[in-house]
Amino acid sequence: MNKRYLILSALLILAGIGLVILPQKSKNKELTPEELLMAIKDPSRFVSTDLITDRIIKKDPSLVIVDVRPAKEFKIFSLPGSVNIPMDSLLSGASMAILKPEGKDKVFCSDDDILADQAWQIFKRLNISNIFIMKTGVNGWINTIMKDNPPLPTEDSRAYDLYSFRKAARQYFQGKDATSSSNRQQNDNKDNPAVPKKEKLNLQKSTNTKPAGGGC
Amino acid sequence: MTGPLIPLGYIPEAWNNVFAVLLGMGFGFTLESSGFSSSRKIMGTFYGYDFVVLKVFFTAAITAVVGLLYLDQIGWADFSAMYVLPTYMAAAITGGVIMGMGFAMGGYCPGTSFCAVAIGKIDALLFSAGLLVGIFIFSEAFPLMEKIYESGNLGALRVNEALGISAGLFTFLLILIALGMFWVATIVQGKVKKVEY
Repeated sequence: MNKRYLILSALLILAGIGLVILPQKSKNKELTPEELLMAIKDPSRFVSTDLITDRIIKKDPSLVIVDVRPAKEFKIFSLPGSVNIPMDSLLSGASMAILKPEGKDKVFCSDDDILADQAWQIFKRLNISNIFIMKTGVNGWINTIMKDNPPLPTEDSRAYDLYSFRKAARQYFQGKDATSSSNRQQNDNKDNPAVPKKEKLNLQKSTNTKPAGGGC
Repeated sequence: MTGPLIPLGYIPEAWNNVFAVLLGMGFGFTLESSGFSSSRKIMGTFYGYDFVVLKVFFTAAITAVVGLLYLDQIGWADFSAMYVLPTYMAAAITGGVIMGMGFAMGGYCPGTSFCAVAIGKIDALLFSAGLLVGIFIFSEAFPLMEKIYESGNLGALRVNEALGISAGLFTFLLILIALGMFWVATIVQGKVKKVEY
């Protein structure tokens, strides 16, 4: 028999033996129930609306706000710069591409924090890092940032600091009219200055979900 | 392409067709240069005078699987994320019998028939015409065959998982089987009367 064939065969067998010997990589990248429980018990997964507001204003490039509400609600009102991934398309390729990058802080938000927490748990289980939940959700954001809630005269200076921060933030989002308060109903109005400018989403969904055909 | 470059957006989707053409040309060139545009060569496997088809396709399979598993080991590819076509047992057996009969009668598989058309073989022209007629009949009669088409669905099954062994061990066994087959094929080829073509 040709010597070349013998050498190639030996090489293939060696490669095969190597595959048998090499340790199998753990394919289970999901968290175990124990690890998930630990993560759920950790309150640091919640971030306040003020912190998010601060980062939005500072145009923090490492912040990704993921709005998990249905697209219809997202259209009516959304946080500036947020990305809409409705619950039913959470696990699509496009949303994984948004959530996978490790250097970014992905913050889930929904009307309150229930849907956001569900989304958070799904991705925590998939072992995706740097994910958070915006405490009290979009409604909470409107209530704390967009509504005027002056502190009581008896409250301490921290409350006043927070109040002035929120007032400044409101001014930032609303433009000049800082004193007017806003709520969800008003936000339905298109010309309402309280609606922050929505950034155009550039969510590209791959239309090609078909696998490449094989065969000879 | 099934990924990861295009679905994740590293390469715009418009390149899909360009890649398809380039890969198709490469595939066609390889088929032609291996002599697969000759129906006599392909039929050699059936009659036992030329086993090059068996050797080429098994070599391709084991080379690809060994490469993929090593790439997975060093973390350049994710074997577990690979798309696996679902297995429809009854449909696969029915389709396999029909395809095999066509293969044995015509001397081409769909890919090689187009290669042979490219170099002007008349039998391949007829074969390809038949192929198109077949596709037409299948499409029109699909509602009648839908039950067979979707029967015996076992999901995205991998052979090693079905056997309950690791992918590495299965690959090793596959290499041994392939080399054993090559060896037997060479012996058979030596005993069968040579066919000149």
